Amino acid sequence: MSGDQARVSVLVKVPPDVAFRVFTEEIDLWWRRGPRYRVAGKRAGTIHMEPGVGGRLFESFEATSGASLVETGRVLVWEPPSRLTFEWRGSNFAPGERTEVEVVFAPSRSGTQVTVTHRGWAAIRSDHPARHGLDVGPFLRVIGLWWSDLATSLREHVARAHPPPDE
Amino acid sequence: MRSSLDRTFVALGDPARLKVISLLRKKPRRPSDIAEALSMSRPATSRHLRILRQSGLVEEEPGDEDDARVRMYRLRQQPFTKVRVWLDEVESFWNDQLGAFKDHVESRYGGHGG
Repeated sequence: MSGDQARVSVLVKVPPDVAFRVFTEEIDLWWRRGPRYRVAGKRAGTIHMEPGVGGRLFESFEATSGASLVETGRVLVWEPPSRLTFEWRGSNFAPGERTEVEVVFAPSRSGTQVTVTHRGWAAIRSDHPARHGLDVGPFLRVIGLWWSDLATSLREHVARAHPPPDE
Repeated sequence: MRSSLDRTFVALGDPARLKVISLLRKKPRRPSDIAEALSMSRPATSRHLRILRQSGLVEEEPGDEDDARVRMYRLRQQPFTKVRVWLDEVESFWNDQLGAFKDHVESRYGGHGG
């Protein structure tokens, strides 16, 4: 755990190639619905991830003004069945602002360890609401390339001062 | 009006101040120690400490009120906790998603072994 990044992992009882394929091809079937997770909110819509580097991750839905398409980002790394990286831009990020999501599919004895790392939060300006409705107030801000090291320190510092109760 | 988290990052928008933070992570220090450890002039050190203090990142330890030179500076917890809280929210979002992914992929494709 380090840097300006969030990391979450889950073990799924299928082989990596299945996990990778379902994660990408069937993203609309498992991606949670509702305003916290989708731009469409409660309206019907579909999430797509186009295969290959440069493919788009986007959501399409019917809005009052007609069909709407919201792109979250492009695929940056496409290495089935082990790794996938894509951009993650909130619908109201400023031009040039982006975060990055990396998904690693690591084989394990009982299936695949899927780990999502969402990084780059320090580069986001502070004055807009989070795209998926998270209400945590201000975002992090651009502070430069050396952010990463600092954030690591901060996080370690906080972890020492406030150890998670379940660790 | 800037938010406090915003001010935090502005205050950190300087490599020298990052070094100060880094140094204070280990233990509270006097301004003179900080200046020496980072090879900075006393006035520069004072200026950086003032900005860090105004942003709430560091504070003076209670001590000798009469002599600022011997006052110790230490990190404040709260701004750092806010960063942690934000990342916790992002992790909560992905936890939900990965849980949904696991349910889906195992209900459809589980039992293949692997």
